[in-house]
Order: sequence, then structure tokens, then C-alpha cells
Amino acid sequence: MKNVYIGEILRNEEIAQDCFLMRVALHVSFIDPRPGQFVMLRVSGLAEPLLSRPFSVCSFERQNRSCSLDLFYHVIGRGTQILAGLLKGTQVEILGPLGRGFEVAGHKKNIVLLGGGMGMAPLIYLAMQLNKDACSSSSAMYFYLGAQNAEAVIGLEQLKKLSFTIFTCTDDGSMGEKGLVTQIFLKDLKKFVPGETMIYACGPKPMLSALAKILQKTKYPCQVSLEERMACGIGACLGCAVAVKRSKKSSLAYKRVCADGPVFDINEIVWK
Amino acid sequence: MAETKSISMSVKIGTLKLKNPVMTASGTFGYGGEYADYVDLNKLGAIVVKGLSLKPRAGNPPPRIMETPSGMLNAVGLQNIGVHTFIEEKLPILRKYDTNVIANIYGETYDEYKKVAQKLTSAKGVHALEVNISCPNVRKGGLSFGADPKSAAAVTRKVKEVTGLPVIVKLTPNVTDITAIAAAVEKAGADAISLINTLTGMSVDIFTRRPHLKNVTGGLSGPAIKPVALRMVWQVLQKISIPVIGIGGIMNAEDALEFLILGAKAVQIGTANFINPQATIEIIAGIERYMELNGIKNISKLIGTFRS
Ligand SMILES: Cc1cc2nc3c(=O)[nH]c(=O)nc-3n(C[C@H](O)[C@H](O)[C@H](O)COP(=O)(O)OP(=O)(O)OC[C@H]3O[C@@H](n4cnc5c(N)ncnc54)[C@H](O)[C@@H]3O)c2cc1C
Ligand SMILES: Cc1cc2nc3c(=O)[nH]c(=O)nc-3n(C[C@H](O)[C@H](O)[C@H](O)COP(=O)(O)O)c2cc1C
Ligand code: FES
Repeated sequence: MKNVYIGEILRNEEIAQDCFLMRVALHVSFIDPRPGQFVMLRVSGLAEPLLSRPFSVCSFERQNRSCSLDLFYHVIGRGTQILAGLLKGTQVEILGPLGRGFEVAGHKKNIVLLGGGMGMAPLIYLAMQLNKDACSSSSAMYFYLGAQNAEAVIGLEQLKKLSFTIFTCTDDGSMGEKGLVTQIFLKDLKKFVPGETMIYACGPKPMLSALAKILQKTKYPCQVSLEERMACGIGACLGCAVAVKRSKKSSLAYKRVCADGPVFDINEIVWK
Repeated sequence: MAETKSISMSVKIGTLKLKNPVMTASGTFGYGGEYADYVDLNKLGAIVVKGLSLKPRAGNPPPRIMETPSGMLNAVGLQNIGVHTFIEEKLPILRKYDTNVIANIYGETYDEYKKVAQKLTSAKGVHALEVNISCPNVRKGGLSFGADPKSAAAVTRKVKEVTGLPVIVKLTPNVTDITAIAAAVEKAGADAISLINTLTGMSVDIFTRRPHLKNVTGGLSGPAIKPVALRMVWQVLQKISIPVIGIGGIMNAEDALEFLILGAKAVQIGTANFINPQATIEIIAGIERYMELNGIKNISKLIGTFRS
């Protein structure tokens, strides 16, 4: 039987304004997450918040007798405030890895990643995986990284170790180009041939919806990772619904972000 | 342990025999299979599946859930695959397990309730029906069937007419006098009553000044509703003599024991499954341990031992 894992916090540090990196030691039996998968996390023994919170796997390493999981999180509410105050050695409960991850298409000639804000978390893990695969292929890999300002840029350190061509941009121009990540990407779009390209994206809804608009009438394949409030994380409560297009009927249909996603084909989603 | 073997936890709800009094609550355990990796389903007293309607339903637009103090609001909107797909695709999986399958049903008209009940009765592997009467009655302008003793009794009678399966009627707490509904439903032939469904609630986002849920209102569940559920179970128990199944905010064995001591023959576990997928199994073990510690060999010697 699968069960909740008890993990021990190895580090929990603020790496950018209100952004924390948490490393958790887990039992060796924890299954290797695929890029794009997530975990449900709660503090052991705490009744509040009631529901566990979903976080993407940002990195995962396996040692001889244990493994460690890295999470990037943004302090935005009660649950993440509590996380930010946790000390090394605190026990957390982790359910996962959950969801269907990205389809890793290392064979494509051009691989393009677009990350905005906390959307960087799953993309860093994906980038590491792609980097491994790409060593044996001739893919060219590009990373478009966006943030509000220079202080909010995360993941750059990790990315610099990989063989990506990196473009950074900020809303206020305090680092890289000034502008939205989708605008910077749009300028380069023509450089990539649809059939030889795979695009991956994760970030705030407005960013993904802007990207969907850009790609709407093109043939670029694009996988996006979505977020929605969750209760169970395993497909049982139907709380994490996302509207998807329906081919046959005109009526709306919903899919579960936790179990049918969190990664979807960008064209499948109804963006409002 | 040899001693635990002599402990009997089995209970009867009408003609339905359960190996223990712990079931899953509708809508919180999917169609059962979702939890098969986490829970040995054979150990459950019963699995109550997500509410089924005649036709598949898309449900409400997101956001559908919001956490509130010691609880959560949900406005899933009874999204489900429909009774036909359930019978074709989900029931064969459930039949493999040695547990009772209780189908939670609902309709927007009396006729819909009847048709869903009929279909499930002729399908192999359904052991009882739980009738959700909290949903809006389209003919009565959206007022729920369960809000009025007459329509609650009418739904019960219609379902009883078409099925030989035990019929459990699930009551909504969003009424002035739940005992009047319970009495009406008993008189109409219900084999048992389960309560409570969620309490209607709201939550406001002070930054956008909009509701947190797209549907504006939602159903409150979790620890926050347990005292209300206990009070309602207690009131209903004094009014009727058919078995009562307690639901509402049960997070652990202690919570379940409160309902059993009051007189509930069985309990359902809802929101707790989200927080700990093995909650049901831990609750069964916890009740057993309590019985052991207190020298109770048969659970019937525990149920209804409340001293007021
Ligand atoms: C699959 C998935 C992966 C995620 N990965 C990460 C990650 O790697 N790093 C990270 O910082 N965050 C991630 N999130 C979002 C994270 O779960 C929420 O930020 C967190 O639950 C907020 O908890 P809180 O108690 O601090 O905030 P709350 O007090 O619960 O809410 C504060 C605000 O955040 C919004 N919110 C709450 N939960 C979610 C949610 N699940 N998705 C989107 N908005 C939400 C609320 O609407 C509210 O406006 C992910 C979400 C999902 C679904
Ligand atoms: C997400 C969710 C979905 C639910 N769906 C149904 C349903 O389809 N039919 C029904 O009768 N009750 C439904 N309920 C109500 C539960 O079965 C239960 O009565 C309620 O949640 C109170 O129990 P709890 O506090 O243990 O969760 C649902 C509850 C939740 C939280
Ligand atoms: S969070 Fe429960 S179904 Fe997705």
C-alpha cells in the first residue's frame, strides 16, 4: 500500500523575497518523481491548516540510504507562512509523487521552456532531466525566465549549471529585458520550426493564457503545468477542476488538475 | 494478537451487514478505485460512492473549494459520470473487493430518482442505496427535496417502490427542524437515515471583494461541523427507531466513538480522507483498540450507551 511519507526538513531558507527553498529527507522507498509531478505537504501533528498544500517537485536526489526532495515555495497565505517558520529537523508529511508529469521530449531539435514566478519550480526539475537527455542528443535548449523584479528571480543559479541559453526578463527591467516573458518569447518565435520544437511552460494564469493566445493558430506543441486549489490531490474530491474544450458537444467539461494533470496540452484548456 | 479476534465490530443496517461500522462518505472517496493504492478496500465496512445522476454532469466552474477555519467549503456541483458509466466501468472494479458498495443517488425530479434507483438495483454489486435529498427540486423552484417533510417522504417512497435494496436517506442539515424530516422519511419506508450532509456556507476574498467560490456558496465539511452533526444525530435518534448513520467532521477514532456512543449504528468518513488517505483504516483500528481497552467484546454493547 502507498502511504504518506514522513520527511525531515534538512534546510528551509529564504532565497529571494518571500521565496523559500525547502529540502526534505525522505525514506529510500520514495518513488523517483517525474518532472512536472507534485507532492501534497503538511506539517506533522498540526491540525491547521486542515488541507495539505500542493507543491511541485523542484529537484530530487537519491543517495545510498535516503533521498532528498527540494521544493520552492512562495509565501502567500496561512499555510506557506507556517512553512516559512519551520526549523531544520521538523517533520513534514508528504504524499506523492502525484499527477502526470511532463512528457519529456529530449529528441526535439529545439526545446523551449518558459517560466514565470513560482512556475520555475517544476521547470527546474524538468530542465535538469532534459539536460541529462540532451547530452546524448543535439537539441538546442532555451529558457525564458520571467519575474516581477530582480529580487524575485529564482532558479537562475541552478539553470546556469545546465546547457540552456537563458533569457531573463522582469516587469520593471531591473534584470534582463523589461517586459513580460511571453513578449520576449514572441520576438524569437519565428526562429523555431513547429515540427522540431517542444515548448514547456509554467507560471501565473495570465502568463499561460497570453502564451495560449500566441500559439493558438500555430502548430507548436506546448505543455503547460497548471495550478488549482486542491483537497485530496489524488483525483477523488473533484475540487481541482479546470475547464477543457470538448470536441463533440458544446457544453463545458472539466478535468482534474491533480490526476489528469497538472500538465496539459495548452490547446486543451479553456482560457478565459 | 489473539485477543482482538474475539472482538466483533459487525453491525447491521436493516438487512445490510457490515464487518465494521466505518464507511466512506459520498463525494470524498471517488468511486473507490481512487483510494485502492492507499487503502485495503476489503477492510472497510462499506464504500459509499460519489453521488450518481441519470445523465453525466459537468459540475460547477472553479474555484470549487476553499479552506475555512477547521473545515472546507466545496461547490463541486455534483459532477459525476452518470449511472450508466458507473455500472459499466466502475462497478466491475468494486465487485472485486469484499466490502459493501453503497450507491449515493440524486435527481432533479422524482422520476430521475426512480430511474437511477432502478438501474442500480438491476446491476450486480450494489448492496444499498443512499438517497441524497439535499439537491434542488427543479419543480419546486430549486428548493431542496430534503428541506420539506412532504417531498423528502415522497422521494423515499418513489425509490422504495422500485428497489429491494436497503434504502438509506441522507438528510441535509440546512433545515429548521431535522427531526420532522427524519420522522417523515422513516414513515415513508426508509431503512436507515444518514446525517449530516454539508452545511451551506460562504467565504469572501477581501482583496477582490468577490466570493472565494465561483458558485458563491458551498457546503461546509470537516471538524468545524462535528458539534452540529452530533447534536442533529442525537435529536434524530430520539424521534425515530430505524438505524442512524453519523456523518460530519469525523477525523479520528475518538470522533467516530462519539457518534457510536450517541447511538449511531455506523459512521461515514469524509473530509478526513483528504488529509490522511488512510484515515478510515486508522479509525477502524482505533475503535477496536478502544473496545479492547474497555473490555467491550461486541460493538453492540457500545452503540447507544450515551448517558445524558
Ligand atoms: C500542482 C501544483 C503545484 C504547485 N507548486 C507550487 C510550487 O512549487 N511552489 C509554490 O510556491 N506554490 C505552488 N503551488 C501553489 C501552492 O499550492 C499555493 O500557493 C499554496 O497552496 C498556498 O497555500 P497558503 O495556505 O499559503 O495560501 P492560502 O491562504 O490557502 O491562499 C492564499 C492565496 O493563494 C491561492 N491559492 C491557494 N491554493 C492555491 C493553489 N493550489 N493553486 C493556486 N493558488 C492557490 C488562494 O486562492 C489565495 O488567493 C502549486 C499548486 C499546484 C496545484
Ligand atoms: C468534496 C465533497 C463532495 C461531496 N459530494 C457529495 C455527494 O456527491 N453526495 C452526498 O450525498 N454528499 C456529498 N458530500 C458530503 C459528504 O458525504 C459528507 O456528508 C460531508 O462532507 C460531511 O462529512 P465530513 O465532515 O466528514 O466531510 C461531499 C462532501 C465533500 C467535501
Ligand atoms: S484535488 Fe481532489 S480531485 Fe484533484
